[in-house]
Amino acid sequence: MAVVEKTVPGVHNAPANALPPVVALLGNPNCGKTALFNRLTGARQKVANYAGVTIERKEGAFNSQAGHTFRVLDLPGAYSLTAHTPDEAITRDVVAGLRRGDAAPDVLVCVVNATNLRLNLRLVLEVQRLGLPMLLALNMVDVAKKRGVVIDTARLSQELGMPVVETVAVQPGGEKALVAALDAMLPLPQVVTKPLSAIDAVSVEETQREVRRIIAAAVSGDDEASSTSEKIDSVVLHPVVGPIILAVLMFFVFQAVFSWAATPMDMITGAFEHLGAVLGEYVPEGHLRSLLVDGIIGGVGGVLVFLPQILILFFFILMLEDCGYLPRAAFLLDRLMGGVGLSGRAFIPLLSSFACAIPGVMAARTIQNRRDRFVTIMIAPLMTCSARLPVYALVIAAFIPSREVLGMMNLQGLVLFILYVAGIVSAMLVAYVMKRTMGGKGKHPLMMELPAYHWPHLRNLALGLWERAKIFVTRVGTIILSLTIILWALSSFPDAPEGATQPAIYYSVAGIIGRGLEYIFAPIGFNWQICIALVPGMAAREVAVGALGTVYAMSQTGDELANSLAPVLAASWGLPTALSLLAWFVFAPQCLATLSTVRRETNSVKAAWFMAGYLFALAYVAAFLTFRISTAIIGG
Amino acid sequence: MTQAVPFLTLDALAVGASAIVTQVAAGDVAEDGVSLSRRLMELGFVPGEKVRLLKRGMPGGEPLAIKVGNSTFALRRFEAALISIQPE
Repeated sequence: MAVVEKTVPGVHNAPANALPPVVALLGNPNCGKTALFNRLTGARQKVANYAGVTIERKEGAFNSQAGHTFRVLDLPGAYSLTAHTPDEAITRDVVAGLRRGDAAPDVLVCVVNATNLRLNLRLVLEVQRLGLPMLLALNMVDVAKKRGVVIDTARLSQELGMPVVETVAVQPGGEKALVAALDAMLPLPQVVTKPLSAIDAVSVEETQREVRRIIAAAVSGDDEASSTSEKIDSVVLHPVVGPIILAVLMFFVFQAVFSWAATPMDMITGAFEHLGAVLGEYVPEGHLRSLLVDGIIGGVGGVLVFLPQILILFFFILMLEDCGYLPRAAFLLDRLMGGVGLSGRAFIPLLSSFACAIPGVMAARTIQNRRDRFVTIMIAPLMTCSARLPVYALVIAAFIPSREVLGMMNLQGLVLFILYVAGIVSAMLVAYVMKRTMGGKGKHPLMMELPAYHWPHLRNLALGLWERAKIFVTRVGTIILSLTIILWALSSFPDAPEGATQPAIYYSVAGIIGRGLEYIFAPIGFNWQICIALVPGMAAREVAVGALGTVYAMSQTGDELANSLAPVLAASWGLPTALSLLAWFVFAPQCLATLSTVRRETNSVKAAWFMAGYLFALAYVAAFLTFRISTAIIGG
Repeated sequence: MTQAVPFLTLDALAVGASAIVTQVAAGDVAEDGVSLSRRLMELGFVPGEKVRLLKRGMPGGEPLAIKVGNSTFALRRFEAALISIQPE
């Protein structure tokens, strides 16, 4: 059956070693393992990636009552060590001590969902064959007790041959019994793990028979009567009602992302403008002031302004995930998305991308299939992110007359709607083409658990949000900051010559690049002013608006700029150019922040280049067709 | 249990109906070299276990929400077709 090639036994650290022992939390997905990890470590945790892959590695530490320090590793959820997903491969390799840089754990805490021992105990029996010191944490015992499930822990411990403790990860103090049991296991014996092939010594059927026997001996009241979750599912997964609930929910989330975020976004913009103004007073006119005010404060502020949207979005995603709704959403959409070769799980990342492609690409981590995940990441930037809105708004206001069409819609609104739809439709087409060309084996297994519903827990939610905010702010502070400084330098040097007739940016490197780009972009109707504005616009799309202001030598900022810029644009561009620019922005890979996130999330520079390349090609073709066709119809 | 000739597979079960798993066919080997049938068994679809079809997705009756033991899993039709059942 399964082929296990790596059979090198893991050698463990001697207990005499000064390092505190490593406790690894192992369990099925949805067993409350991460909540238990959060309960044990609180904020004392480090989140990074396992070397070479984009799977989160969560490590933390805690001190026991007896004064011992333990390091804790939260292993990715697994149904079996016969790995089926990249997550499970990591868990398998860490447990077996096969990963470089991760010594095999000194003790394994098997976290099981007390309400579902039938599924969870199988992994415990399997892992037991490796011979590591083990402990069983019966998590969610509170829920089990409420359902009338009685577990004889002494008998269970005797049957399994390992200590068994009860834990309630979502309650303060719910981890105490576990910590005490870990203390009692010290000093840990030095063992040599058996090779992974030991797992296959017993067949799956045999293991399941053993699980049934143990449950019969130690558990009572565990009937399969129709549960609350099933009753909820009869509504939520209903063929008609289910999709309606989903649509209403998503509409609400979408609304919240845009309306709730408006105030904090204005505050961030205001704060950065204020900071720029204050600094501007103290720093004399010149390059330093320009670097600080326009480059750093303007650039970083332009990206950081999306933090409220990202937090609100992730608040909903984490909450829906925590209570168990997300897999249901994937269930409802699986067939629909499957038509273009995507998995139902791609839905959330794509929805996130309407706010900003960065959290969308990050959210694609929940897609297990590697190809599905890649395609989802590739099409994420085609969803109209909120950074495009200022550009759309400016161009639409300048060129599209505000009049009624078809008796009910405003033409400006209709154009905006078409731009959104154009993004979605082309994303579906790209996904379809990628499915056809990248093939794979056609049929992808789903095998997705629909876990029991439960109330979301604020503490876990807060920790999750904190993590997302940290990742985003770190990126803004490092890569995005350096990119903005580079783009600022490109737009500022060299200085304009004496007696210059054009705005200073015309003579800068960005200006030279922009004027050079005009040769490439002239066929799609872009003049040199647009080309120059596209260069600093690489930092974030909406920066292009400010850059156009600079090029057209405007002195206003913000709304004032947009109001005074629109008539200038209307006077100097033809309608085909404006339409072509809109088409360009639907596709253009203009956002270096997204590309660098793609590189990080896929761990591949090639993927980022591929995305930039295909988006550029699409953008050029779309803008070319738009320009040529509209010129032919209405005349240049 | 007697080895019944597999005449019905899980994908053909009616919504709300229960059955007993009789056999899990090998199926294709997935991309990463692990067989589907092994994973199905690891999720609890082993001969002798009771299963119940809770819901079918739309459109096309796919995927299927199946209760096995105390867990619910969503399977695509081709995955469910690997599981032979004896309706109750």
